Amino acid sequence: MISRESFAARIWRKTLEGVGVSVALGWLGLLVVCAVFAPFLANSMPLLMSKDGTLSAPVIRYLNEDDVWLLAAFFWAVTLVFIPLSFGRRVVLFLLGTFAAIALAYSLVKPPVLVIYDDFRSRDYTTADWRIMPPIPYAPTDYLRDLASKGLEAPLASTDRVHLMGTEENGADVFSRMIHACRISLSIGLIASGIALLIGVVVGGLMGYFSGLVDMLGMRLVEIFEDIPTLFLLLTFVAFFGRSLYMMMVIIGVTSWSGYARYVRTEFLKLRKQDYVQAAVASGLPLTSILFRHILPNGVAPLLVALSFGVAGAILSEATLSFLGLGVVDAPSWGQMLDQAVKSSTFNWWMAVFPGGAIFMTVFSYNLLGEAFRDAIDPQLARNSGGQ
Amino acid sequence: MTAPLLEVRNLCTYLQSGKQHVKAVDGISFSIPKGDTFCLVGESGSGKSISALSVIGLLPSGIASHPHGEILFNGEDLLKLDDMQIRAVRGAKIAMIFQEPMTSLNPVMTIGAQITEALYIHHPEMGADEAQARTIKALEQVQIPDAASRFRNYPHQLSGGQRQRVMIAMALACEPQLLIADEPTTALDVTVQAEILRLIKQLQHDTGMSVLFITHDFGVVAQMAQWVGVMQRGRLVEVGACQTVLQQPQHAYTQQLLAALPENLAKPPVLSNPTQPSTPLLEIQHLKVWFPIKKGVLRRTVDYVRAVDDVSLTINQGEIVALVGESGCGKTTLGRAVLQLEKPTSGSIQLQGHELVGLSERELKPWRKQMQIAFQDPQSSLNPRLLVATTLTEPMKAHGIGHNHDERIELAARLLDSVQLDRDFLWRYPHEFSGGQRQRIGLARALALNPEFIVCDEITSALDVSVQAEILQLLLNIRQQRNLTLLFITHNIGVVEYLSDRTVVMYQGKIVEAGLTAQVCGAPEHAYTQKLLAAVPRLHRLSLGA
Repeated sequence: MISRESFAARIWRKTLEGVGVSVALGWLGLLVVCAVFAPFLANSMPLLMSKDGTLSAPVIRYLNEDDVWLLAAFFWAVTLVFIPLSFGRRVVLFLLGTFAAIALAYSLVKPPVLVIYDDFRSRDYTTADWRIMPPIPYAPTDYLRDLASKGLEAPLASTDRVHLMGTEENGADVFSRMIHACRISLSIGLIASGIALLIGVVVGGLMGYFSGLVDMLGMRLVEIFEDIPTLFLLLTFVAFFGRSLYMMMVIIGVTSWSGYARYVRTEFLKLRKQDYVQAAVASGLPLTSILFRHILPNGVAPLLVALSFGVAGAILSEATLSFLGLGVVDAPSWGQMLDQAVKSSTFNWWMAVFPGGAIFMTVFSYNLLGEAFRDAIDPQLARNSGGQ
Repeated sequence: MTAPLLEVRNLCTYLQSGKQHVKAVDGISFSIPKGDTFCLVGESGSGKSISALSVIGLLPSGIASHPHGEILFNGEDLLKLDDMQIRAVRGAKIAMIFQEPMTSLNPVMTIGAQITEALYIHHPEMGADEAQARTIKALEQVQIPDAASRFRNYPHQLSGGQRQRVMIAMALACEPQLLIADEPTTALDVTVQAEILRLIKQLQHDTGMSVLFITHDFGVVAQMAQWVGVMQRGRLVEVGACQTVLQQPQHAYTQQLLAALPENLAKPPVLSNPTQPSTPLLEIQHLKVWFPIKKGVLRRTVDYVRAVDDVSLTINQGEIVALVGESGCGKTTLGRAVLQLEKPTSGSIQLQGHELVGLSERELKPWRKQMQIAFQDPQSSLNPRLLVATTLTEPMKAHGIGHNHDERIELAARLLDSVQLDRDFLWRYPHEFSGGQRQRIGLARALALNPEFIVCDEITSALDVSVQAEILQLLLNIRQQRNLTLLFITHNIGVVEYLSDRTVVMYQGKIVEAGLTAQVCGAPEHAYTQKLLAAVPRLHRLSLGA
């Protein structure tokens, strides 16, 4: 039975064994759910309401392009899990589906341009026959002006409203902002590191395997990219093209691949003269198999450790930018909240503890996952730790 | 008869690993008279090195314990001494040299400084001039040419043989009564080994010290020892005078070890018939593999390392050709160049009349099927991340052998049958196997594409002698069944004589002698071949010779 298991499937199965991984996956899963369903979990508008006999769902009416494609991608991924396909095909189908969803969402979804949260607390909505509110009835950018929120209230300090994690300096609910910030933290970590990893593995692998001229040119390219100061490049781009999360992801990704390339190059240089690689060449195996089946898995351990730090680093980069006031203007992010905790004249523990704890947990989870993945790829280690 | 210098009585050394006790040495007794050499011989893991380390007290005390036994050195039990007392014995009265000369010297100290340091520790009263003079004398004693100027050399400026000489000089500087030599020549070429062995014998003659010599090579035993002890799984199964043990072994294990030596193996019944017309399978003409040496800012090529320099060789269908030479002579590079794993600088390689040099990887693919390679190091010859099944079926898939996965798995299982391994081994990873089993899997992989021709690059060098015998017999079997042609690269003359039809001797990138094995090994013509053959330690020196 095990014989039918593909290489990727075996790695995946072994990664999932162990307690640390369950904790990490649990936390990351929670973040994914929060990120995908954020508008349904924390919003000022009712999920569903009935007024004068007509049903309406303001949340759905106000969903923007990102909300829609994220939901589509999520359900597409869940569907793919239940379709029996090989691991590689699932990944390809998922990526294709996601790109299609993004394209469709941006061409079809036309949300209302202006959202005034105060309206949802006006007579039009409060006098409905019945209505279902989200679990946290505050949107992340709802500053509760009509309710005369003073801002920076400690958790559960106010008697008329429930703010489980307090409010921030503008008066918005911190819990709501925490949930919506999952999107930025998850996506910037994954996409920026993903871009960096992809470029790094390809460039580093080619340099290491072919060596000679390819290696020399590649190393010069690596050195050039190492010399680019990411922060100042970001500043320049923000000045010219305005603030955009996607631009940030791409810039962080494109400037941070050099480290991965160096790791991969070293491993490939070391491994390409190994006897089993020579045997693979002598057997006439295709180049992709030699590079990605015989060399890469044996040299992936340092890469995974670097990756887990890379994801964490990207999350922290975004936090740094927000701290400097260069982050995305209105969208909430954990780094920006930490920034508020530092900047205000009094120490507001809830502004530091919740986003700080979330960043810690996320970085920790990626590290655990990276370690489990590394162990799974090394059969010897898996056997020794009783994993089998 | 005088009292023995060293007497080991019922010595036990237990090593602790986790919660388990490993009985590494389990009750051995032997004694070494003054001025004599005692050889401990056995296969890897038999406990011979642990015994030696116990004698000199170099085992970490947290891990090793000696529940029984005593080690009497000049009548004093070394096991009862405390750390300070044993330090006075170690180095001064008992010295040790190790197997790997490349790693046993400190690379950032001059060799002179390393030897004088040992002198200062054991003779604190000694002045700097005297220490230097004694160091130079010790270096002269081990026949290092121009010892006074070598004093300030760093280890990397010396060759492997010279480093081992420096190690011996360091051991001898304090004039010990007992020298423990732990496989001191295993990492060296045979000609260098012969020099080092001769040196140790001569020093022993001059100084009257005793030697505890550890080796796995019976040829070395025959040359060095007065007394020999055969170890198996922590026990001394046979102890006695060297000639008696080697010629009339009493214990079954000793008999088995001696029988497994290539020179004692029964020759297979059918060797290739020289009268039978043979067609050339592989023709190598004027092959050169040169590696450029680049210097300066512009990386200009200033010179070449001529690894293979104008080699011509024809290998006939069904033949076993042995390629012999010392390390660095270019034999491995030649083997790899034949398979186009190393691109030749110039020359021609023709397989069944088709030129291989200059073909692209795509054009080579059909020829890859015809020729395969098996490697020396069982640790690195198999991809540790892949199941044996994957390792064996992947090349088949790439060449379209077998219609589907199940069929290829069945073929792979049959391959394991043919190398005498269990079919269940398909579903295991390489680290679960012993060295010999891995070499069999490596052979199975080379056979997977059903090739005409296999390059065997020192496939038995890393193996124990009994495992080596099994692999050699297996190789001959497979060759009979499939009419294989082999290029067998080795430095072991015994293996050459047992296995090959023809022998080719390489020296500094060139072929110096080629011919039928009996001829080359029996009546060598070239001076280098004669030197090489004379250096080989033989079990029965008299039975051979021109």
